[in-house]
Amino acid sequence: MARRGRKPAWLRLAAGAVIAVAFTIGFAAAGLIAGLDHTVRSRFEGVRFRVPSRVYGAPTILYPGLDWRRIDLPGALARLGYRAADTAIALPPGQYVWSGQRARIHLRAFSHPSRPEPARDVVLRLDGDLVSAIRAVPSGEELGAVLLEPEPLGAYYGPAHEQRELVRLAEVPPHLVDAVLAVEDQRFATHSGIDFRRIAGAMLANLRAGEIRQGGSTLTQQLVKNFFLTPERTLQRKLQEAAMALIVEARYDKDEILESYLNEIYLGQRGATAIHGVGEGAHLYFGKPASELGVAESALLAAIIQSPNGISPYRDPKRATQRRNLVLDLMLEQGRLEPDAHARAREESLHLATVTPDANDARYFLDLLRRQLAETYPTEVLTQEGLRIYSTLDPRLQRIAAESLRQGLESLEKRRPALARQGDAALQGCIVAIRPQTGELLALVGGRDYRHSQFDRCTQARRQVGSVFKPFVFVAALEPWRGPPVITLASRLDDTPFEVKTPSGPWRPANHDRQFHGEVGVRDALEQSYNVATARLAERVGIGRVADVARRLGVESSMPKVPSLALGTAEIAPIELARAYATLASGGVRPTTQTVEDVVDGEGSVMEKRRLRFERVIDAGTAFLATSLLEGVADRGTARSLRAGGLRGPIAAKTGTTDEERDLWFVGYTPDLVAVVWVGFDTPRGLGIPSSVGALPIWRSFIEGATGGVVRGAFPKPPVIEEAAVEPGTGALALNGCPERREEYFLAGTLPTAVCPDGGGEADSGGLLHWLRGRL
Amino acid sequence: MSRTRLRLSRLAPLLALLATACALVPTSAPAPLHLGDLANDGDPTRRASQRLVLDGLRADAQNESERARGLYQRALQVDSGNPYAYLALARQSAAQDEPELALEYVARAEDLLATEVNRSPGADAHLDGLRGIALTQTGETVEGEALLERAAQNAPDVWGDGRLDAEELR
Repeated sequence: MARRGRKPAWLRLAAGAVIAVAFTIGFAAAGLIAGLDHTVRSRFEGVRFRVPSRVYGAPTILYPGLDWRRIDLPGALARLGYRAADTAIALPPGQYVWSGQRARIHLRAFSHPSRPEPARDVVLRLDGDLVSAIRAVPSGEELGAVLLEPEPLGAYYGPAHEQRELVRLAEVPPHLVDAVLAVEDQRFATHSGIDFRRIAGAMLANLRAGEIRQGGSTLTQQLVKNFFLTPERTLQRKLQEAAMALIVEARYDKDEILESYLNEIYLGQRGATAIHGVGEGAHLYFGKPASELGVAESALLAAIIQSPNGISPYRDPKRATQRRNLVLDLMLEQGRLEPDAHARAREESLHLATVTPDANDARYFLDLLRRQLAETYPTEVLTQEGLRIYSTLDPRLQRIAAESLRQGLESLEKRRPALARQGDAALQGCIVAIRPQTGELLALVGGRDYRHSQFDRCTQARRQVGSVFKPFVFVAALEPWRGPPVITLASRLDDTPFEVKTPSGPWRPANHDRQFHGEVGVRDALEQSYNVATARLAERVGIGRVADVARRLGVESSMPKVPSLALGTAEIAPIELARAYATLASGGVRPTTQTVEDVVDGEGSVMEKRRLRFERVIDAGTAFLATSLLEGVADRGTARSLRAGGLRGPIAAKTGTTDEERDLWFVGYTPDLVAVVWVGFDTPRGLGIPSSVGALPIWRSFIEGATGGVVRGAFPKPPVIEEAAVEPGTGALALNGCPERREEYFLAGTLPTAVCPDGGGEADSGGLLHWLRGRL
Repeated sequence: MSRTRLRLSRLAPLLALLATACALVPTSAPAPLHLGDLANDGDPTRRASQRLVLDGLRADAQNESERARGLYQRALQVDSGNPYAYLALARQSAAQDEPELALEYVARAEDLLATEVNRSPGADAHLDGLRGIALTQTGETVEGEALLERAAQNAPDVWGDGRLDAEELR
């Protein structure tokens, strides 16, 4: 007898199977959801965005007396995204009004943990090219100096090559949020991650169109897709997206999701770099921070989200305007915009920033900095953690240096077609500039075109330096060393045939003009760059001491202690020469080369600050004498063509051309700026021109651009320097009655003992005083 | 005779003025330097640089030392040969117990002051005092204290307490 109510075995089996399957599916689903939840949490609670580190240049400082045209103030404002306004009434930060002799600028705040600058509304009174006064608005307080925020130079990208500037939701203007919500997800505040009404509407529209035209994704779904998923349109991916959107909404509040979305959304390209987030998007399209966007600009940014490249206002302004207006209409319809604001915004034309690809002018500098920073910061930190690196580079000088080098090389090739590109071997060059008193690196162009060659010839190449080494010989001879110096500026040198025995045979230096000049003055020897006189002097001083002086001044490369070192056979990097000459320019004090002022992390804390450092390596008097000698080179010697274009003011300089004209050098300095120019081929071959033709014009162009053609200041004369008249032909102290005389500088206690005319004569009071002083 | 007397009487006010002037000529050390006194000296570049140094000293006085340092560096960006910016950096470094830096900055300030056309003699006490502090911090107490003593003798109002506050330099 069958038991009552007992179910058949097959039914029990089936029920068991169903329960087992249900459990299995349940477990699998739970596992899947747990997995998705883990993925979501690990992203949201870890490093949410990979933000490249940005490098900034030194800020521009405005002050009364500044030549605003020389520093290209309008250009600096444009590069920083300042916009000319029609009226100064209620002028917001980031805008200015320029009217004749008056520039009203509302300077933006500069955010920095330890040296922030507030936003400042100021009026610059202009007197011709000069700023005559700066006053705060509305107080009228006279200001001594104000700062423009530093210009961005570039960034260190990760493999994805994405750029973004993170913004906090509180910094985003409400109308930008409204514009995004109006067009992308109007029910964002109320849905739970999926908007079924929107999905239904999109399906209907797509059915009508017969193709997929609309998406039904919410902001949360879009964020999930961008964060975790691929762009493919499959059912499985859509289900995954929906599940993750629900998880995100369950775990995080709306503001957090919205802020993530605004920072993640793709908004177009700047060259090869993908622009993500409204912060970076605002810079790309409008050249300003997101916080300064107006209603129409916000609507345009929101309009672009759907298809940043298709609706690009640069490519298709008409289509972009239409879609912007659609966004504005939606904002009005949804009550997010007042009718009058809507009308005004619709009337606005597109005010777009000038599109500039990543400025490549500073790329060699960025590479140098990256190599230096890599000693402290791992690559992932540099490319993902959004550091702000405040560098010493002067963007204005950098542009001038890049332009001077480019034009200089092109001009050389035009005049001498033999120098033009032969296969891959293009004529190359580099230029590096340092502020001598502080050691701050101001400009660096390591080659002709970064896109073709990233090799930095100013910091990574070592080439024979030729005659730019000679000043080190003269410094060694002028410096008191265990007794009086070997020479004074009044000494006479021997420029007659000379031979030194070396292990590789006798060495017989010759002059460039293939002549010997007999007895020559110290100034003549350096001004005319006589090899023989210099080699003989190096022999008197000792080549070891010459190398020691070069080392103390800042040369780090190895220097073989052979007689020919005096004539520059050592291979030295241009940046080392810049440092060595900077030491002379700063009166014998060697500054530590600085490229970075400080580094701020993504959270806004200072990670590192670098201090100016100095070391006295040569006495101030000797450094001054060397500078005076090099001034002679610029005024009368091999670099005299510097003055041909009207360049005025104190300049000390030296030309250098190596054997067969393979390397052309020009090193020179003013009281505030040292610059080194090198020109040559990467694989050395003769150029057939001297440095005064190849390198000097590039240096001159750079300094003219930097100074406006008039170098200010003077090389300071230390108290240890005395002046006395000498007879140029003999170097004797010139008394009254001496037929020829020239004022000369001496270290105290080193005046000549011989007098002119021989045996005395009628001494003038100054000359006699010096003469007596020399004997006491 | 009467003519001579008349002449002397005419000269009397001049002589009195001369005597007063002589009495006013300082016979002791010059007054210590306050950088505010130099705010309007020099060319526009120096004046702008000097204003930035003064702003830096104000920030230093309010314990915003990093901001102050930034302003001193800006001052050097405008005029890299401004000795007073180095003096302010030296003061800050000494106050922050960074004697090596302080010594480098004092030396730099001293070098540049030596070549200044309108050198303020009141800077000497500050150079002595700051160098004295730094040397004392490095353990060279004999030399350091001797310099501090000299600074105190030459500028007792400022260096009497053996230190230089930002406000005192300003």
